[in-house]
Amino acid sequence: MDAFAQQLVNGLTLGSLYALIAVGYTVVYGIIQLINFAHGEIFMIGAFGALSTWLVFFQGNTALWTLPIMIAGAVGASVLTAVGMERFAYRPLRNAPRLAPLITAIGISVFLQEAVRLFYGDIPGFPDAKQKVPFPQIDVVTGPAFNVAGVTIQRSTIFTVGALIICAAALFYFVSRTRTGRAMQAVSQDPDTARLMGINVDRIIVVAFVIGATLAAIAGVAQGLQVTNINFKMGFLAGLKAFTAAVLGGIGNIWGAVVGGLTLGIVESMAVQFVPGTFGGSPWKDVWAFAILILVLVFRPQGILGAKVVDRA
Amino acid sequence: MSRLEFPEATRVRHGAKAPVIALAGGALLLVSGLLSWSYDDRILGDISIRFYPAGIQVYAMVLGAVAIVLGVLLLRRPPWLDPGRGLRMLGVGSLVVVVVALVAIAAQTGGLINANEGVWIALVGALAVAVSGRLTPAVEVDVRTWPRLSSTVEILLIAALMAVVLFVTAYTLGLDDAGTFGCLLATLITLVVAAAAAGLGDYVGFIGANNRRVLILAAFVVAFLFPFTQNGSSANMSIATQILIFAGTALGLNIVVGLAGLLDLGYIAFLGTGAYVGAMLSQSAFATVGWKPPFVIVMLCGMTVAAIFGLIIGSPTLRVSGDYLAIVTLGFGEIFRLAMFNLDGNNGPDLTNGPNGIPGIPDLNFFGFDFGETHTLLGVPLDKFSNYYFLLLAFLAFVILVFVRLNNSRLGRGWVAIREDERAAEAMGVNTFGLKLLAFAVGASLAGLAGTIKAHVDTSVTPDQYIFLESAFLLAAVVLGGMGTVTGVLVGATILKLLPEKLRQVNEYRLLAFGLLLVLMMRFRPEGLVPSKRRQLEFHQQDEALSDLAEAEHLQEAK
Repeated sequence: MDAFAQQLVNGLTLGSLYALIAVGYTVVYGIIQLINFAHGEIFMIGAFGALSTWLVFFQGNTALWTLPIMIAGAVGASVLTAVGMERFAYRPLRNAPRLAPLITAIGISVFLQEAVRLFYGDIPGFPDAKQKVPFPQIDVVTGPAFNVAGVTIQRSTIFTVGALIICAAALFYFVSRTRTGRAMQAVSQDPDTARLMGINVDRIIVVAFVIGATLAAIAGVAQGLQVTNINFKMGFLAGLKAFTAAVLGGIGNIWGAVVGGLTLGIVESMAVQFVPGTFGGSPWKDVWAFAILILVLVFRPQGILGAKVVDRA
Repeated sequence: MSRLEFPEATRVRHGAKAPVIALAGGALLLVSGLLSWSYDDRILGDISIRFYPAGIQVYAMVLGAVAIVLGVLLLRRPPWLDPGRGLRMLGVGSLVVVVVALVAIAAQTGGLINANEGVWIALVGALAVAVSGRLTPAVEVDVRTWPRLSSTVEILLIAALMAVVLFVTAYTLGLDDAGTFGCLLATLITLVVAAAAAGLGDYVGFIGANNRRVLILAAFVVAFLFPFTQNGSSANMSIATQILIFAGTALGLNIVVGLAGLLDLGYIAFLGTGAYVGAMLSQSAFATVGWKPPFVIVMLCGMTVAAIFGLIIGSPTLRVSGDYLAIVTLGFGEIFRLAMFNLDGNNGPDLTNGPNGIPGIPDLNFFGFDFGETHTLLGVPLDKFSNYYFLLLAFLAFVILVFVRLNNSRLGRGWVAIREDERAAEAMGVNTFGLKLLAFAVGASLAGLAGTIKAHVDTSVTPDQYIFLESAFLLAAVVLGGMGTVTGVLVGATILKLLPEKLRQVNEYRLLAFGLLLVLMMRFRPEGLVPSKRRQLEFHQQDEALSDLAEAEHLQEAK
């Protein structure tokens, strides 16, 4: 039972991270049916943005009050990258055949990874990013773990899950209560009619990218606190898993991304613990995650919560 | 394109001066080659001596000569050519070449002071060519007036072209200096783009279409002769074998992506399957399977296993399509890599030795012909890589044959129909699911075949050779060259494999450039470098001239 509870906690941690990133995929997909394959890199840039902010302003200072400013730096870096990417790479391809944006996304993804790997260390005062870079361990949110009835709960776990809850609440308020949020819903239902109703569709698309980038940046900080280091490759696998989560929950559906993220995280953790024999354990956990991705895409492409009917060539 | 031109009024008023300016610019470029470019004789080869053109000076002279030819053509324009557009491209390209040379001189010798009169004259010449191109008024090109030559002349033309290709290839690969190599590359690109812009490219394509068999034969003869130009040096031959493997695999992918329109992001797994089968059944001491059959059987096994994987990966196509299919294939690709990484005996059965892979795969031996030894033919030593090169050339010929035959068959037309509109195809009686599965299986088996040979060329197989980035590279080769065409994929594969090897100094930045290249290609030329006309039309539906051209080519093919 202890093992189960422990894996549940681990799964929730992992799942919250996936959920935060997955929202970015799903929001953009819901509006323009584009799989923003480079979203994992936005997450990575968020982590590096936070690290850079810390290095520039607070090097050596790990007080809690530096955290909000680090997050702001992370969000700034991610949002800037995402908006630039939308403006210069995706927007010109709005009416191109479906293959074009996907290949562009792969290109952006490789480009951003390499740009960070090659040039991050060239900025004075910043460490070389060709290997793992240590991430500042902020007081209170990192440190000795809590032990509740035999289950170890890391402080970063609380930060990650808390971040997801706050972000989800804020997102709920934004989407259902604000004008822009409602405009977003309208565009995702019918872009042409929404345009006729006076909604600036281009602006809404940018807003979608900004929302995704914000949440991914927060996830980047959470990942840095959890794993204690970051690297230029961290976006690829995390992005792929988060995409799986988005599909699992029903891509295009924001709550689906949250549910899908948590489900995927828990399933992955449980697989490590409970799949018997030599195919269990952590070496195979990614395989299980991808197997779930494939099975969901084949048998229930609309996901757990369901979304638009999937039939796009 | 329009931004490269002067306002219409200026062009009409001064258009008559364009040929003269072009001739003058060409002459300046020609003369500059004979002059000294730099005081320092250590950079870009030796370009400090007068009346002894070397390296970049020769390229400047070639560019000048072409400018003069185009200038003369501008004076007496045949209706099927647009020399003005050619001059425009030539001018821009020449400027790039000269400026790169200037920057190289300045950077490597400490200042522009070391640049001699030659390079400045070349700069003026290139400027003049560029200006002349921009001055020429727009003209109508009529492709129906293409001159018809006798077939002997056409064949001779093809042979000459191929001889030039062989010579240039051998020369290019012989260059050691990255700076000179870069300048040569820029020159070659300029020449090809200028020829294409002037309309010569389409004409050559037309002649090629008239003499398809001769062209293919000539291309293979050139490829066959290539090792004889290397004098036993293995540096270039090793790159060439890698290019052939890569091109063969990319052609297999082209069946799936280019013909059937199914995006596969995990294709490298099939190459990996073939390589692992080849390694496991090889004579290597680390092979995990006791059975060691002859290589022909191994090849068949590799193809079969890869085809089975292809069928498995293709099976979701019944239910998912488009982006979702791409993600499914990506997932399979990752599962393959992770499985190969994990199957080391501790986690599951010992099949692959995990991250260490299977090293020590011996060279092939066909009936006593040892691929690892150097053989001498016609006085030219042919080393290990040359031996594999010939084998891979045969493999590539096989792949091209399969591709072309499929493309022109009922199956190929079915695939194209599925690519264009799956529902309409199904309504017309095309067995869409069966054909899609077949596309995956055929593509996979070709990659599997390539893999079995690759295992022996590389002598070891490890999981980190089959990462997602390699799949992206394969896809990039297809996209870069032009989807659905053979030439395009060959060009794309050569560029993607050759450039990083030759530009060692900038090797660090190759992935960065690769990413940027993909983005820019999708933005400005999504149909690829050598597209099929039909494909090009899909991306530029409003282009009427293009539509005419496609029609002319189509008529020619029907004859």
